[in-house]
Amino acid sequence: MSNNQDTTPVVHKKPLKLRMWNYRGFYLMALPVFIFVLIIYYWPMLGVRYSFYSYKLRDIHFVGLDNFTQLFKEKEFWSSFRNTLIISIVKLLLNTFVAVIISIFLNEMTSMICKKFIQTVIYLPHFMSYAVVAAIFTLFLSTSSTGFVNETLKSMGIITKSIDFLHSKTMWRPIFYLINLWKETGWGTVIFFATLSGINTEQYEAASIDGATRLQRIRYITFPALSNTIIIVLILNLAKVLNIFEPVFVLYNSRVLEVSDVISTYIYRKTFLTAIPDYGYTTAVGLFKSLVGCVLMLASDIASKKVRGRGII
Amino acid sequence: MKKKLVSLILCSVMAVGLLAGCGGGGGGAAEGGSSGSGSGSSAGFVDGQLNSINIIVDGTVTATVDAGQAEFKAQWEEAVGEKLGHPITLNITQLDHSDYSGTVSRTLTTGQPGDAGYPDALIMSATMLRQYQTTGLLWNLASAYDNAEFQSRVNFPQVNENIRTPDGAQYGFAPTYGNGCVTYIKQGWLDAAGKTIDDIKTFDDYYALLKAFTENDPDGNGAGGTYGVIAAGFGKLDEAPFINYMPEFWQGAYPSFYQKDGTWVDGFTEQATIDALARLHQAYADGIIDPDTEEAGTKQAREKFFSNDQTTSEGAFTYWAGTWLRTLSDNLVKNEVKKADGSQETLVQLPPIQEIKDTWGGYLNREAPVWVITDDGDGDDAREQAIFDALFETMLDGDKVQTLWTYGAEDVHWSTKAEEFKTNEGTENEASYTYEEGQFHLKQSPNDPNTIWKKNHLDAVLVIAPLTNGYVSDDPLVTEGNNFFLENAVDAPAAASSETLSGVEADLVSTKTQLVNMAVVGEITPEEAVAQYTEQYGDVCATILEELNSAAE
Repeated sequence: MSNNQDTTPVVHKKPLKLRMWNYRGFYLMALPVFIFVLIIYYWPMLGVRYSFYSYKLRDIHFVGLDNFTQLFKEKEFWSSFRNTLIISIVKLLLNTFVAVIISIFLNEMTSMICKKFIQTVIYLPHFMSYAVVAAIFTLFLSTSSTGFVNETLKSMGIITKSIDFLHSKTMWRPIFYLINLWKETGWGTVIFFATLSGINTEQYEAASIDGATRLQRIRYITFPALSNTIIIVLILNLAKVLNIFEPVFVLYNSRVLEVSDVISTYIYRKTFLTAIPDYGYTTAVGLFKSLVGCVLMLASDIASKKVRGRGII
Repeated sequence: MKKKLVSLILCSVMAVGLLAGCGGGGGGAAEGGSSGSGSGSSAGFVDGQLNSINIIVDGTVTATVDAGQAEFKAQWEEAVGEKLGHPITLNITQLDHSDYSGTVSRTLTTGQPGDAGYPDALIMSATMLRQYQTTGLLWNLASAYDNAEFQSRVNFPQVNENIRTPDGAQYGFAPTYGNGCVTYIKQGWLDAAGKTIDDIKTFDDYYALLKAFTENDPDGNGAGGTYGVIAAGFGKLDEAPFINYMPEFWQGAYPSFYQKDGTWVDGFTEQATIDALARLHQAYADGIIDPDTEEAGTKQAREKFFSNDQTTSEGAFTYWAGTWLRTLSDNLVKNEVKKADGSQETLVQLPPIQEIKDTWGGYLNREAPVWVITDDGDGDDAREQAIFDALFETMLDGDKVQTLWTYGAEDVHWSTKAEEFKTNEGTENEASYTYEEGQFHLKQSPNDPNTIWKKNHLDAVLVIAPLTNGYVSDDPLVTEGNNFFLENAVDAPAAASSETLSGVEADLVSTKTQLVNMAVVGEITPEEAVAQYTEQYGDVCATILEELNSAAE
C-alpha cells in the first residue's frame, strides 16, 4: 500500500510568491490593466453604499434599509419591474424567433444578388439611433394630419377616426415589439446566418437524394443545426433583460406608463425629473436591479453549463 | 533580456500615464480650491478680493457661444474690472435650456463652493427658487438688495418684494418683470374666417374661430388637415404658471397649489379645473386642438405653427410676449408663409377673452426668474457681497454693463457706428438698414445674418431699472408686443414651497399630466381625473396644504 503511494508522482507547486516572481514580467504587464479595471469598474461601485443613505443635495445621512422599505411599498416600482420582465422577455423571444425565420429564408435563397440586397436592407435600421427611429415612427403613427399611417387608412376608407397607436394601453406594447423587430431583427440574423453557412452542404445533397422536400430539409437539417445557437443567444441575452432603457424611453408617454414604464425609466424619472432628487433612493432601486440581474446571470450560467457544457462567466 | 526591458519600459509608461490621468483630475479640483470640507471658500475670492465669478445660465442669455458670447464676456470683464479697480474673470457655463433644473440640481448636489465647476451665482425659475431657498445653499441677499445703488432707479419694486419670504429673507434677485404668454392669431386665417380680432370677445367666439380654422380650409388648399390651435401640452404642469399655453381653455382654473383669499388651496381639485378639462376634451373631440399638442415641446409646437407647410398647421398659438412676437413673425417671413392673397402672413395679438378677464383679470405674468448667489456657509458674507456687487449691482448700472446684459456686446450685437447692411439679400424679403454715426442700433445676429439681433438676457422693457444711456431698440414689433402684454397682464399666483411638496412634486406633476391627458382625449371624465388624483394623493396634498398654511400664518 505504502509502496503504491510512493510510486505516485507528486507535483510540488511552487509557493505563490515564487511563481509571481518567476512570471514578474507578465504580472507587470497586467498591472496597468488591473489598475484600469479597478478605477473604471470597481471604484464607482463604492457608490452603492448610498443606497443606505438619504442623499438630497448636501443633506446626506444614513437611513439603513429605509430606501428598500420604501421601494418595496411603491406600486409604481412593482409595475415597472413587471413591465421590464414582460417587455424584455417578449422582445427577446420575438426578435430571436423572427431572426431565425429570416435567416432560414435567406439561407434558402439561391439568388446571391437578391440575398445580399435583402441582407443590406434589413441590416440598415440597426445603425439608426433609437431617437431617430422613435421620431420616424411617432410621425408615421401620429393622430395629427401629419400622421402617414392614419391619413392613408382614412383616405382608403378603412378607418374614419385616427387610431392613437402610441397612446393606447392595448396597442403600445405590440407597436413597440414591431418597431424593435424592424430595427433589430436584421442584425440579429447575423449569428444565425453564420451558423447556417457552416452546415455541410453534403447533408442537404444526401437528403435530396433520399427524396426529402425543402421543408423536410429545413425541419430535419437546418433547424437542428440552429437549435444550439438559438439557445445560446437566448441564454446570453437573458442576463441582460433588466437593462432595457433607450427603446422604451424614446417611445413611452404618460398615458401608457402603466404598460410601458420599466425599471430604468423609473430610475430616470425619479433622478432626473425630480427637482431635488433623493439619490439614495434611486441608488437603492439601481442596486436592487443589479442584484436581480446577478441572479439572472447566475441562472444563465447554470443553463449554459447544462446546454453547452461550459458557462458564460 | 531586451524584450523584458522593452516590456518593462512600456508597462511603466502605461502605469505612469494612468496615474497621471487620475492625478490630473485631482489636480484640477485642487486648483479650484478646497474640496474636502462642507464650507469651502470660493477660488475666485482671495484676500477679500473677487478675482473671478462662475455663473450658470440657461438659454435666456442669448449671447451663446456661437452668437458672440466670447465678446460679451471680454467686454463684461473689461467694464466690471474698471468699476472694481482690479481685473475680474467671468466664467459662464450655459446649460441646455430643456434640462436646466435637473442639471443645476446635480451640480449643486455633487459640488461645493470652491470646486472648479461650482457656481457662485446662477439663474433660477421662481419654482426652483422656492425649492432651494430652504436648503441653506443660497445666500440671503435682502440686505445687499436694499442697499444696492440701483435702488433709486427701480420702477417695479414689487417684483423683488414678492420674492421675499414671510420673515423678510430674500434669496433671489429678479432684474426683470416675469413676462408671460399671449395668444397670437394668423391674420390671413382670421381674414379667411371672415372675422376681425375685435370680434373675438368670449370663449364661444374663440371656439367658433378655432372651429373655422379647422373646418373651413383657412389655408385655401381645398383639403382639410388644419387645426385651430397647438400648444406644448394641454397644460404645462411642470412649469408655473401651468395654464399659460392654453389660457382660453383653462380660464380661471389653476391646477396646482395657490393662495385663494389668503388660504392655500389645491387648484387641481377645484370645479374650475374640472370645467377646464371638459372644455379641452370637447375641443379635442371636435378636432380643433392639434393632437400633437399632447407630446409637443415648445420648439415643436412653434415650428409647426410657422412651418412652411401650412396645410397641417394651426391658426392660433399662445406663446411668450414681446420679443417672441418678432421671432415668430420673422419665422413666418423666413418660411415664406403667405396669406390667401399672396401677401406676407402676419400675426395679430388676441386680447384676453372675457372669461379670463372675469377670473384672473388678464394673461398671467409669471413670477420673475431670478439670479441667486450660492452661500459658502463660512458665516462671513464678504464673498457673497462681493459677488452681488460685481454681478448684480453692475447688471443694473443703467449704462455699460446693463447694456451688455440687455443688448449684448458692442459692435457684435449692437453698435453706434455708421453702417449699412442688408438681410435676406437677393430674396423678395430683402431689407436694407442704414444707420448714422452715433445712432444706436442692433446689428445682424452673429449666428444668422438674415435676422436682426433682438436682445441678450434682459428685456429693455421688462427690466426693473431702465437704462440711462438712452440706448433703446426701436423695433416697433417688440415694443408693440411688450406694451400689449403689460396692458393685458396680471401677476400669476406665487409658487408654493413646502418640505413635503419638494419630495413629491415630480410624482404629482407626472400623475396630473397623465390624468389631464387621459381626460382631454376622453379615456376618463374630468370628474374621474380629479377623483383619481384625490384618491392617490389626497392625504399628501392635505399635508402640503397644512404646511403651506401654517407657514403663511
